[in-house]
Formats: sequence, C-alpha cells, structure tokens
Amino acid sequence: MATPDRIAPTIAPEETVERPWRFDLFARWPWLKRLVRMRSFQFLVILPNLFMFYFFLITALFGTPIGNRNIIIVFVWILWWFVLIAVLVPFGSRVWCTVCPLPFFGDWLQRRALIRVREGKSPGTQNRFFGLNKRWPKRLSNIWLQNFGFLFLATFSALLVTRPMVSMILFGIMIVLAAGLALVYRLRTFCNYVCPISGFLSLYAMTSTVELRSVDKDECLRCKSKSCIRGSDKGWACPWNVYMGKLDRNNYCGLCFECVKSCPNDNISLFARPFATSDVLIKGYDEVWKASIMLVLALSYSVVLLGPWGQFKDWANISEVGDWGGFGIYAGGQALLALVIFPALYYLSIRLAKWYARADAISTKELFLKYSYMLVPMGLLAWIAFSVPLLMVNGSYIISVSSDPLGWGMDLFGTAEFPWTPLWPEWVPYMQVPILLAGFYYGLRGLHKVGRQLFSDPVQLHRSLIPPAVLLVGVTLVFLKLFIG
Amino acid sequence: MRRIRIPNYLIVGLLLLLGGVAGFFSVHFGQPPPQERTLTITAHQYAYDPPILRVNRGDRVTIRLVAEDVTHGFYLEGYDLDAKVRPENPTFWVRHPSQGDEFEEVEEISFVANRTGKFRYRCSNTCGYMHPFMQGELIVSPNYLYPSSIGMSLGLLVGMLWIFRRTPPGGRS
Repeated sequence: MATPDRIAPTIAPEETVERPWRFDLFARWPWLKRLVRMRSFQFLVILPNLFMFYFFLITALFGTPIGNRNIIIVFVWILWWFVLIAVLVPFGSRVWCTVCPLPFFGDWLQRRALIRVREGKSPGTQNRFFGLNKRWPKRLSNIWLQNFGFLFLATFSALLVTRPMVSMILFGIMIVLAAGLALVYRLRTFCNYVCPISGFLSLYAMTSTVELRSVDKDECLRCKSKSCIRGSDKGWACPWNVYMGKLDRNNYCGLCFECVKSCPNDNISLFARPFATSDVLIKGYDEVWKASIMLVLALSYSVVLLGPWGQFKDWANISEVGDWGGFGIYAGGQALLALVIFPALYYLSIRLAKWYARADAISTKELFLKYSYMLVPMGLLAWIAFSVPLLMVNGSYIISVSSDPLGWGMDLFGTAEFPWTPLWPEWVPYMQVPILLAGFYYGLRGLHKVGRQLFSDPVQLHRSLIPPAVLLVGVTLVFLKLFIG
Repeated sequence: MRRIRIPNYLIVGLLLLLGGVAGFFSVHFGQPPPQERTLTITAHQYAYDPPILRVNRGDRVTIRLVAEDVTHGFYLEGYDLDAKVRPENPTFWVRHPSQGDEFEEVEEISFVANRTGKFRYRCSNTCGYMHPFMQGELIVSPNYLYPSSIGMSLGLLVGMLWIFRRTPPGGRS
C-alpha cells in the first residue's frame, strides 16, 4: 500500500541481518491450500459469523439492557475480544478479517456475487466490479482515520462494553458505512482506511506467527499478469490492493486468499514464522501514533475499567452519571496522553539516542519511525495482560448467557442459573507478569534488530538502544504497578 | 588459555533471576508484628470506599460492609469470601464459595491476612451497567510479586543490553 507519508526502507532487511526461519504451511499441509483455494471458502467461513452477528444485533435490540446478562456484550466484549487479541492476532495475523461479517454486504454490492468471480474490466483490475469504483483520496490513504476513530470509540468504551444498544448502534453504523463506501470507492476501502478494528489489527499483525507471501519474489517480478492485484478468472483482484511481489509485512494483507486462487504461477503460500521477529519495519507516522494510542489505551483501560478508583469510572460512565466536566478531563487526558505526551516522551528518547550515539548519518525521523517497532510487541502483550482478567473473572457469564441470550429468563441448555464464578482470579497477576515481561523482551529484541540494520558501528548501535530501552522498561514498570503493585 | 563464552540465554536468565531474587529480599525483612485491623467498607455504584486496603501479613482483618445505594456483593479473591450487602441494613450475608452457596447473616467478617500479594474484591451482585468493573484492592505486605517483577524487568534490561553489545551490527552508517 503506497502512501505519501510512508518512507521507503533505506536498506532491505535481508541484506544485512539474517532472516528468521519460516516454513511453508501449504507445502506441509496440502489440504489447507486446497481449502483456501475453494471459491466458496471465504463465503463459508463468513456465513456462520454473519448469522451469529445478526443474532447478536437482535439480542441487543430486544434483550435486557444489562450488559452482563445480554449475549452481545458477553460474547463480543469478553469472549471475542480475548480470542482476537490473545489468539487470533498473535497466531493468525489478520485471520479475523478472513471471517469478519462487517464488509459482507459491501463485497456483495461490488461483486454481485457471493462465490463466483466476474471477469471483465474495472479500473486497474481484470474483474467486473459494480458501483462507482472511485479512488480513495491519497491524503486519506493511511491509518490516521482509523487512529482517530479508535481513540474516539475508546473514549466511550465504558458505554460500549456495558450497554448492548450502544454496541448495536456502533456495529450498525459500521455495516452501513462499509456498504456505502463499497458502492462509491474501489475494493475494501472501509477495511483499509476506515474500520477502527482493522487499524490495530494491521499494527499487531506484524508480530504474528504466520504470513502470506510469495514463495519466490523473482517469479512475481517476471509475472506479466499480476493477477494477485489485478484479479483473473480464478480470483478477485486483491480487495486490499496488495501486490504480492512487494508484500513484506502483514499489516495490510487481510488474508482473503484471493491471490492464492488467482496466482497463475502457484507462487503464493502461507508460512509459519517466529513471533514478533519478522516484520519490524514501521513505515509511517500514522503507524507510530497507532502504536502510541494502543499502548496508552491499554494503560487507560487498566486504570479506568480494572482499577479501584470510582472517580474515573464515574467520569467515563457519562450517560449514567452525567458529569460532563469529569468526562472532559477523562477524554481530554486520554487523548492528550495518546497523541501528545507519550509520543513526546518517545521522541525525547530518540533525540537522546541520536545524541548519545552521535548518529549524525541517520535522521531523527528515520530513527523515530524505525525504533517505534519496540512499542508493537509491548503494546500487544500489554493488551493481552489486560484482557486475561476480563476472561478469567467474567468468563462464567458466557455459560449463563448461552442459555439465556436475551436475559428473558430462558434456560436453553440448563445453564442459565450458572453463578458468576471467577476462575482462579488470585492467579491472574502471576499470568500477567510473564506476559508483560515477554512484551518487554520482544520489544527490546525488535529494537535491537532494527538498530542492527541502521548502524555499522557497534558502539553507536549500543548507545542508540539505551534511551528507548529505558523508556520501554518505564512502560513495563507502569503496567506492573497497575496490575500487581 | 581458551576463553569460555557464556551463552546469551544464560546471561539473560541469570540476570532475570538475580533481579527477581533481589526484589524478593528487598521486602522480605523488617516486617511489623501482626495487628488487629477493623475496617468499614462502603459499596456504591461502581466502587468501594476505601478503594485500596493495605495490611500486613498476619494481621487480623475485620470488615464491616455498608451499601449506600443498591445491593452489592463483595467477593474477595484469594480468601474464599463472598458477601452481599443491602442498603440501610446493619447486617450482611456471607459465604465461603469453596464450601457451597449457603449464606449466613453476620455483622462483620474476620480473617487473618495470611496470603501476601494484591487481591481484588469485586461486586458479585449485578448492581448496574458498570457492575463488572466494580472492584477494590486488598494489598497484603510483603507483596513479593511486585518488587520481584521490578527486579526481573531491570535484570532483563541489563541482560539484553549486555548481549546486544556482543552482537555485531550490520547496518550502513
């Protein structure tokens, strides 16, 4: 995805630093390849999700307004959230996008087909697309909208995760927006540039243990048809507008597997790789700020939602308490911390790194962008540490609402009266500590890996690592204080 | 004489361990003698007052519960206690979750703080929209996990910076 504010990597990573191992999952398990090459694959995996999703919307409309007794809140904000952040992203990259029901109608409106491919000519593709097929403005071809959208939604998270109706309204708006944008703009504009969930998935997918890549990049360069991005009679043009010959990060690949179907050279495969070691290149300020926003929000949620201080909860709980002054302090403070204070601290650490290493040959901008990768594994693992108590403490609601999804007093499976039973809550801190330390460890490793690509002098390299590493340990200590201190 | 090169993982592991042990012993000694502590905890939507209780290991803690607005719960993790308290009621109902669902009416609950660490007390009775997030903290000193984790973080930092020094760079500048 070429965007004006992203700088190109100044050196190819493979030129200087050894590549981590990876192995070809399609070669290992040919059935997996056969599965994703089926034309009906994505439709079949979205379909059950779509039904479930609409059922949740109905429960929000007609069910109890008490969040922990309504299936939409319990399944989406406890179960789905935990599975997404702790399992799907680290081990499946953007596999949620493979099954996400939100863009379903948008896709259908563009393609007028659920399964089959339409050959033809639409701008830049070998497929027939319906709608206006306009290009998304270049100025917005980044994740800034997603950054601000997520931060805005996060400000209302206390309402979102406790009120079924608020969740329903949000999902409703997202469906309509995805469909509307699909009618006007090309491909998956909503997913690429607007969806607030997609924004953080793009960043944290960098750490994932899987990647979809071309087997041989030279083959892609020789390929005349470029079917992966243009489409063919076998597969739709990449909905994410990704050319596999240049794909070197997971960020903007939504794992729809259309390229696996359309590639005439059978040159696309799914690879397994080590965690948080391969994609370490941050390419734009939008991604740096995304990392900052996510880290600060994990911190803010740990204070407001999981902390003992009622004042913060009252401020965030605006619709019930109505303290607009307090809400202003909370919302403004959160935004200020995410958009200004933390990035300023990080910038300061970079200036210090540059000064201490006497790194005159490297611009502050390049160091600022590239060293920010350390915030990616740290942020993801902090989110996982935050999410562990959500599931372990409130997971038993899943059992009760399964029998009574609307909170009407039904008892479908005989578990409606299952009491709220926290699962080993006293052990949660002992799980959070290694998770946070792992985030810190992978953050440091990422920092070092990027540093090795930038510096040839060992003293300069080492000195440049110290200030950002100190910032990272500071972040770790703040989370430790909140979780166990 | 041939120099022995210590593997990187061993250096990091040792410093991690050393940091953890140092943190542990930084709070291990000099604990005050056990005391009697009587506390009144007021529950209201969606917090407890006081939000954080600090006691020492061995203290006998007696808690009286008061509800200000609606019926609230008080589930103290790690101490097998769950209570329900109604507004304008001097007594409340308590049970030990490991022993079943039977509640008994009491005026106060008392226990010896023999487990150290940070434990949350949470509302166990749906009390409104923000109920799942209503919680307070009981910190029983010495809270070994916290200083040990700080020590481990610092140990990890030093260890990683140490091994980074041993790894040659490969960049351009």
